Amino acid sequence: MATRDVAAPMQAKIVLQGAGKRFDARGREMRALEPIDLEIGSGEFVALVGPSGCGKSTILNLIAGLLAPTEGRVLYDGTPVVGLNRSVGYMTQKDNLLPWRTVKANVRVALELKCRSTTSGDIDARVAAMIETVGLTGFEAHFPSELSGGMRKRVALARTLIYEPETLLMDEPFGALDAQLKLLMLDQLQRLTRDRRVTVIFVTHDLGEAITLADRVVVFSARPGRIRAVRHSSFERPRDVFKLRFAPEFAGLYEDLWDELKDEVGKGTDV
Amino acid sequence: MSKRERIASLLRTPAGQNLARGVLLFAVLAVWQWGISAGLRFWLSSPAKIAEKLGSWIADGSLWGHLGATLLVMSLGYTIGCIFGILVGLLLAFLPRTRQILAPYLSALNALPKIALAPLFIIFLGIGITSKVALVAVTVFFLLYSSTSDGIANIDLDLTRTLRLMGATRVEVIRKVMIPASFPWIFSGMRIAVRYAFTNALLAELISANSGLGYLIEFYSGNFDSSGAYAAIAVLVVISVAITEILTRIEQRFRNLPRDFPA
Repeated sequence: MATRDVAAPMQAKIVLQGAGKRFDARGREMRALEPIDLEIGSGEFVALVGPSGCGKSTILNLIAGLLAPTEGRVLYDGTPVVGLNRSVGYMTQKDNLLPWRTVKANVRVALELKCRSTTSGDIDARVAAMIETVGLTGFEAHFPSELSGGMRKRVALARTLIYEPETLLMDEPFGALDAQLKLLMLDQLQRLTRDRRVTVIFVTHDLGEAITLADRVVVFSARPGRIRAVRHSSFERPRDVFKLRFAPEFAGLYEDLWDELKDEVGKGTDV
Repeated sequence: MSKRERIASLLRTPAGQNLARGVLLFAVLAVWQWGISAGLRFWLSSPAKIAEKLGSWIADGSLWGHLGATLLVMSLGYTIGCIFGILVGLLLAFLPRTRQILAPYLSALNALPKIALAPLFIIFLGIGITSKVALVAVTVFFLLYSSTSDGIANIDLDLTRTLRLMGATRVEVIRKVMIPASFPWIFSGMRIAVRYAFTNALLAELISANSGLGYLIEFYSGNFDSSGAYAAIAVLVVISVAITEILTRIEQRFRNLPRDFPA
């Protein structure tokens, strides 16, 4: 990965210009996302929070190129996203592990692809290191069906991080984990993405998670999704994910964001 | 322990059960033999005569020729049918429009009992091995074609999408997702097809042949020599059991796969 001057101003990695999405559901028009404008800088960590059905996942799908906007444009590195965007790593709520591959073989799958041209000796070392990072040493030979939900999530994280995509799209990746494990994973995610200056867009329901990790927290309104508020979470990095919650500024920001969010939660279509 | 209890406990052990099975078989054969000597109809033959017939086939070596002929038809047809069935199934999976056009014809042919084609194959290909191999191959082809395409239709699109986003080429997605994901369906098709291949090889021989187990049954029945027909059926029983046993062993080996692997 190219080394970047840390002091240089952030150039926009991802730009949504009036990008919106309508669906045609049984002849009735459904709006998943109102046209929105959003710029995400290179190396920035942005958290998207909002009630269920507000279009947060739609934004990730637009950036990944899994969906095309019905209005406006989505630019990646200045060019419109057409077809699948191969520069992103995408972690969905579902772990999408290959059931016939062991943990080790799942983690290495991206490195086996021609576009990575990694030598096999190199692969083994990197896979072993990554499995250790996510705390799954000893489970290399297990199949996904033999793991708990949290372990499967960690395999999915390892599999996504190992090929070092320059942008990470994460859709509630740790939603199913218990509180302690979640903090451990957040800590690992923070370290791994900071070291490599990865751009991250992180969808979550958890305000604490958003404040802990992100540079910027974007609050969405209920369906159809609009940007309601944007707040900067300017805690010094690296952050202590275990103790940050007890800082007074954290509580202030939490309250501020909750004020924005609480009016919207009741309007969520799933509630 | 009373005598009854001793027998009951003996029957709970594997050795005791095998002994009981042997006794049962012997009893049936004995009653049969006794009935024949007491004047039952000739078309029932008798265990002694059947054994004598089998012995003579083994002694003159003709049994191996017929057995070999049936197994050859079966295995050639099976192999050809499997290869083409899987290939066409995979190919059409990647040509969705062609598949849509062909679908009604393929399902009509699939629904047709293939044995109905046997007389036509004999007209086209003669009564030699070719027409019989063709019948088996066609039967197996359709079984494997449908299990392969079912397998591919059931692939989780999220898995292929995940690999595509990682930068996998089309070929890599086929190799790393589509083929392994459809493998359990292909394998179950292959397992079912073995029995169909055996049955159809036999049916083809019953219709018209000059060698094979089916031919033996047909030939001896036609000559009202029931001993010969029963002897051929006895061989058939042994072969069927052997095939079932081999399949079970292979399946058990594949059972080492993960639990949620669809099978």
